[in-house]
Amino acid sequence: MSDPGIILPAPEPAAARLRPERTSLWGRALDQFRRDHAAITGLAIVAVFFLMAVGVWFGWWGTQWSQALGGRWEGPSGGHWLGTNLLGQDIFQRAVYSTRTAFEIGLIVAILSTLLGGLLGALSGFYSSRWIDSVLLWLMGTLDSIPFYLFVAAVAVAMAGNPWAMHIAMVATFWTTTARLVRGEVIKLKNLEFVEAAHAIGLGQFRIIFRHLLPNTFHILLVQGTIVFVSAIKAEVILSFLGLGVQDGVSWGLMIAESTQEVLAGQYMNFIVASSFMFVLVMAFNLFSDGLQDALDPRRAPR
Amino acid sequence: MIMGMLLLAACSEPPSDDNRDVYRHSEDEAPASLDPAQASTVYSNMVVVNVFDTLYRYKYLARPYELAPNLAAGFPDVSDDGLTYTFRIRSGVEFTDDPAFPDGTGREVTAHDLVYSIQRHFDPGVRSQGAWLWSGRIVGLDEWGQNGADYAAPIEGLKALDDHTLQIQLTAPYPQLVYTLAAGFSALVPKEAVEFYGREFSVKPVGSGPFKLTSFNSALATFDRNPKFDRGVLNLADEGYRDDLHGTYGLQALDGQAYPFVDGLEIHFIDENASRWNSFISGEVHNVMVPNEQIDRVLTSKDPIELNDDMAERFHKHSGIEAGFVYGGFNMADERFGHHPDPDQDAANRALRCAIRDAFDWQARNETFYFGLGNVFPGVIVPLVPEFDADLSRRSVQHNLQSANQALDEYGWRDQLPSMSYGMPSSVQQRQMFEQFRAQVQEIGFSTDQFSPESFATFGDFSRAIKNRELDLFFLGWSLDYPDAQNTLQLFYGPNETPGSNNFNYNNPAFDALYEQTLTLQPGQQRTALYRQMNQLVIDDCVVISGLSRTRVHLWDKQVRMLPDREILGGFFMRFVDIGNESETAAMSN
Amino acid sequence: MELLSYVIRKLIGGIPLILGVTLISFVLMVYFGPDKTFELLSKNPTEAEIAQVRAQLGYDRPFLVRYAEYLKEMATLDFGFSDSTGERVSSILSRTIPVSLALLAPGFVLGNLLGIVLGLVAAWYRGGWVDKLIMGGAVVGMSISFLVVIVAFQALFGVVLGWFPVRGWNVHDLPSYAYYVTVPTLASVFVALGYNTRFFRAVLVEEINRDHVRTARAFGARPAEILFRNVLMNAMIPIVTRILFSIPLIVVSGSLLIESYFGIPGIGKVTFDAITSGDQPILKAVVGLTAVLFVLILIVTDILYRVVDPRVSLTGDAR
Repeated sequence: MSDPGIILPAPEPAAARLRPERTSLWGRALDQFRRDHAAITGLAIVAVFFLMAVGVWFGWWGTQWSQALGGRWEGPSGGHWLGTNLLGQDIFQRAVYSTRTAFEIGLIVAILSTLLGGLLGALSGFYSSRWIDSVLLWLMGTLDSIPFYLFVAAVAVAMAGNPWAMHIAMVATFWTTTARLVRGEVIKLKNLEFVEAAHAIGLGQFRIIFRHLLPNTFHILLVQGTIVFVSAIKAEVILSFLGLGVQDGVSWGLMIAESTQEVLAGQYMNFIVASSFMFVLVMAFNLFSDGLQDALDPRRAPR
Repeated sequence: MIMGMLLLAACSEPPSDDNRDVYRHSEDEAPASLDPAQASTVYSNMVVVNVFDTLYRYKYLARPYELAPNLAAGFPDVSDDGLTYTFRIRSGVEFTDDPAFPDGTGREVTAHDLVYSIQRHFDPGVRSQGAWLWSGRIVGLDEWGQNGADYAAPIEGLKALDDHTLQIQLTAPYPQLVYTLAAGFSALVPKEAVEFYGREFSVKPVGSGPFKLTSFNSALATFDRNPKFDRGVLNLADEGYRDDLHGTYGLQALDGQAYPFVDGLEIHFIDENASRWNSFISGEVHNVMVPNEQIDRVLTSKDPIELNDDMAERFHKHSGIEAGFVYGGFNMADERFGHHPDPDQDAANRALRCAIRDAFDWQARNETFYFGLGNVFPGVIVPLVPEFDADLSRRSVQHNLQSANQALDEYGWRDQLPSMSYGMPSSVQQRQMFEQFRAQVQEIGFSTDQFSPESFATFGDFSRAIKNRELDLFFLGWSLDYPDAQNTLQLFYGPNETPGSNNFNYNNPAFDALYEQTLTLQPGQQRTALYRQMNQLVIDDCVVISGLSRTRVHLWDKQVRMLPDREILGGFFMRFVDIGNESETAAMSN
Repeated sequence: MELLSYVIRKLIGGIPLILGVTLISFVLMVYFGPDKTFELLSKNPTEAEIAQVRAQLGYDRPFLVRYAEYLKEMATLDFGFSDSTGERVSSILSRTIPVSLALLAPGFVLGNLLGIVLGLVAAWYRGGWVDKLIMGGAVVGMSISFLVVIVAFQALFGVVLGWFPVRGWNVHDLPSYAYYVTVPTLASVFVALGYNTRFFRAVLVEEINRDHVRTARAFGARPAEILFRNVLMNAMIPIVTRILFSIPLIVVSGSLLIESYFGIPGIGKVTFDAITSGDQPILKAVVGLTAVLFVLILIVTDILYRVVDPRVSLTGDAR
C-alpha cells in the first residue's frame, strides 16, 4: 500500500462549500491558525529546515557531503557528529545537504503541479461541458489510471538518466488532484453574481479566469501545494531506493537506500539519521498543512 | 471464503517431503533464460549445466580449473594439423521423460543432438548468445546459418559419423575448442522439445543432465534427481581432491559412490544481500557467499581467511578467487583522451589516461567495497588462469598522485582537463563507487562537475551506450568463459571493436599481430610469453584501470557435504552435493 | 436487461480512457522505453546480429504499426511471450497475480477495517482526547516513509526477534501462509492506517453532524446502533468508492515495493523487473489490464451507487 495519500484525492473536499467573503475568510483563517499550536510548531520546524536548506544553497554548511573525511563506519564524535558511512563520509553533512535536495524536489514539484493544476482546473471548470473540459477530464482520468510508481519509473527510464525525470513524472501525476478540486470550485464560482456581473460588463474570458476566478481558489491551491510537497518528498525516498530518483548528489532517499545494506551489518546511523530528518520535516509539514486546512475550511475547524 | 480461494491459488509449490534429501542453494540473481543458447550468465549457466549435458565439464575440486569428460567418452582424437577433432559420446544416455517425446519417454542422446545444438546457435531465429564461441571456426557452419539455417542441409565441418561419434573440422587450429564444449552454450538439447515448447523452451528445459527441472520462477527453481542419470561413481582423486584443502568437508565418505547424491535441488534466487544472509543464518538455505557487509562480523582474519568461533562452529567455509575480474575502461575512440592520429597528442592523451589510472586507488576500492578481500593485480591476465604472472610489476595498480600530477604538468594538461562522463548502471553501490572515484580524481585537478555520472536504469541501456561509444569511462566486470588468458585478451583485439567485445575500441597493430599469432598456438611457454607481451602493451597504453578479482567466501551448513562454486566454470558441483543426516555428520567431525 | 445495456454502454464509454492509458504508456514504456537489444545479445555481437535482434523485438517498425499491434493484443488479450525468459505473458500473470492478491488481501482488509473503526471512534468523540490521540497517531503514521517501515519491520521481526522469515514466499498451507504474510501485512497496515483513518473520520464526521443523527442521539439511542445504522450506512458511498478505487493502485504500485523488498514472486516484482530490463510484452499487459480494471471499477461503483441509493438511475447520467 504505497502511501495511498499520494495518489488518492485529498481526504477533505475543501472546496465543496460556498465561501463567505474573501477578506473575512483570510482574516478568520489567520486568527484560527494562530490559535492552532500544533500548526504553529509545524511551521516553525519547517522554517528551521528551510534555513538549513538555504544555508546549503549559499555554501555555509553541508559542503563536504561527498568527501571521504573519515574511516568506514565511525561512531559519533566531535569531528563527525553523527558518525560516518561506508565510504567514510560524514553522515551529518549528508543529512544536512539532503535538506536542500528535499526542498528542491518538494518546492519544484509543488509549485509546478499547483500552477498546472490550477490553470488547467480553472480552464476545465470555466468551460465545463465543452470540448476542452472533456479533453482535460479525459487526460486526468488517464493519468490517474496509470499506477504511480510504474508511471514514474517509465518516465525515468524513457528520459534515460535525466536528472529532471523524477520531477517531471511527479508533476505529471500530482497536478490532477489539484485540477479536479479547482475545477469543482470554479464551476461553483462562475455562477455567482460577481462573475456574472463581470460577464455583463464585457470583461474578456481570460481576464475573468485570471482576475476573478483563480484568485478565489487560492486557498485550495495553498493547501494542495503543501500536500504535494509532502508527497513529493516521500515519493523521492522510494524512487531513490528503486534507483530511479536523484541522479547526482545525495538525498534522504539515497541515504536510506545505502543504509538498507548497512542495517544488516549492525550499522544503524545512516538509517536512523536519514529517516529521522525526513520524519521530522514531513511530520512538521503535515501539521502545518492540517492547520492550514482547518483554518481555511470553516467546516473543519474544531468547536 | 475469498481468502481461502486466494490462498489455494497462491500455493505454487508442493509441500516438501521430509524424507527427501533436498539441497537448498542460494544465488544472488535469477536467470533470465534456461535455454542453453542463451546461457550467458552465471545464473543461466548454473541451471543449464545441471539440467542438460555437456560433452565436458570441469573437475569438481581441481583449481585452476581442469577439464574432465562428461557426456564424452574420453578426450577427442585430434589430427596432426590440429584441424580435425573426433569425439566419442557415451552410449545408453537418455533424455528425461517429457510430453515432448512420442509416448512421453525420453530417447537416447546421440551425436546428432550435439550437431543440432551447435547448429541452433547459427540459426538467426534463435537469439544465440554463444555463437561467437564457434563463429568463423568450423568449416561451413557460418555459411549454413547465412543460407537460411536449413537443418536438413549437411555441414562439412560439423557432422555425426554415427550415433556416438562426432567430427568437427576447423578452419584453423582452435586450441580452446574443447573448453567451448564444457560451456553451457554447448549443452545438448533434444530437437523434439525445442519444437514442442517453441518460445517457452527457455522456461521448460528438457535435457539429460543430473537433475530435472520441476518448477521455475524469479524466486525459486526446483529440481528432482534425474533417475536415468548414471555417470558411475565419484572418484575423489580424479576430481583433484587434496586432503590439506578439502579434508574437513566430509567428502571422503562419498568417494566411490554413484552420484548425484541428493533427491532434489532447490535454487533460491535472492537479490538482496541482507535477505540472502538472513535466509542462510535461519537455515532456509544451505549455503551463502558471504556478502561484503558481513565480512567484518564473520571473519577474525582476512589473510588467511578465518571465521570467528561461532561461525566456525556452525558452518563450513571455503574461499576462492573468482574466475573473472572487474576493471575500468576508457573509450579509446575518443580523440580527446584516446587514440589520436598526431603522435604528440597521442602521447599526451596516453599521459592523461595514465594519470587517471595512477590517481585511482585500488586499495581504497578494495577496502571499501570488497572489505580488503579482493585480489588487486596488474594487467588483464587474471589470477585464475595458468598464464597469470605473479611477478609482474605492480606499478600500474599503485595509487600514485605524484606521478599522475607530474605527467599532467609535463604534457600541458594543467587547467586544460577535458570533461568526462562516467557510465554506470543505476544502483546504490555503483553510485558509491563513483563518489569514491570522483574524490580521487579531484586530487589531480578534475573539478566536481568535470566527471559527470551517467546512470542507466537498465543494464541493456548501459551496454548500448558503451557499444555506441557514448561513455568516456566505464567500470565493468568480466566472467571467464574458459580458463585461458585468450578469453580476456580478446577484449583488446582491434577487429573486435564495438559493437564487438572490445569495448575500449583499442586499436594497436602490434597487439593485433601478437594476438593473431597466438590464436592457433597450443598452450605452452611460447604462447604464454606472447600473452604476457600483449598484457604489457595494454598496461603501457593505459587502456584500462585494471584490475581486481574478487574473493568468494562460501559458507555452508555442516550437514551438507560439498564444495560450492559460483563461477561460470563451476556450476557442475551440484551433482556431487550430499545431505548427511545429523548423526552421520556428528560422527564425521570426530 | 436494463443493467446489461447499461454495462455495455459504460464499457464503450470506457474506451477513450483505455485508449489514453495505452497511448501514454506505449509512448513512454515502449517507444521511448529501455532497449532490450543489448541485453539479449552476446558479449561479442556483430552489426548483423544487432539488426536481427532489433527486428525480432519489432524495434525497427514504425510507431503506428507497433501501437496498432498493441491495441490488437489488448483486444485479444494475447500479449505473446516475455522478451527476457520467453515465458508466455498470460502464464506469468496467472502465476503471479494470485500471489500478489494473497499477499495484499489481509493488509488491505485489515487496513480498511481498522481505519473505519478508528475513524468511527474518533468521529464520535470529536474534539476529545480520544480523537486527538487517534488523529495524532494518524499524522505520525502518515509521516513515516513506507520504505523505512519495511526496513524497520524486517529488521525487527525477522532479525532481532526472529519470529518471522526475513523474506520469501514458500507457501503451501495455512500455517506457512501466516508465516510469510505477517510482516508484509503489518507493514502495509501500518502505512495505510494513517491515511485511511483520516479519510474515514472526515466522512463520518459529516454524517454524525446531520440532523437525523443528532435527533437520534438526543432521543438516547445506543451509540453503537446510531453509529452503525445512521452513520456508517449513510457514509457507505464515499467509503466504498475509496476502497474500490484503491484496488488497482494497490495491486500494482503497492505490491511493487513489498515484493521487491521481501523477494516475493508477485505481479509487482515482475512488473518492476520488466521496467528495469525493458521487457515490453509484460509492461504492455500490466498497464493495459490496469486500465481495464479501472473501467470495470468505475462501472461497479456506479452500480453500487444505485444499490445503495435507489434515486440514482442507471438510464440517466449516473454521476
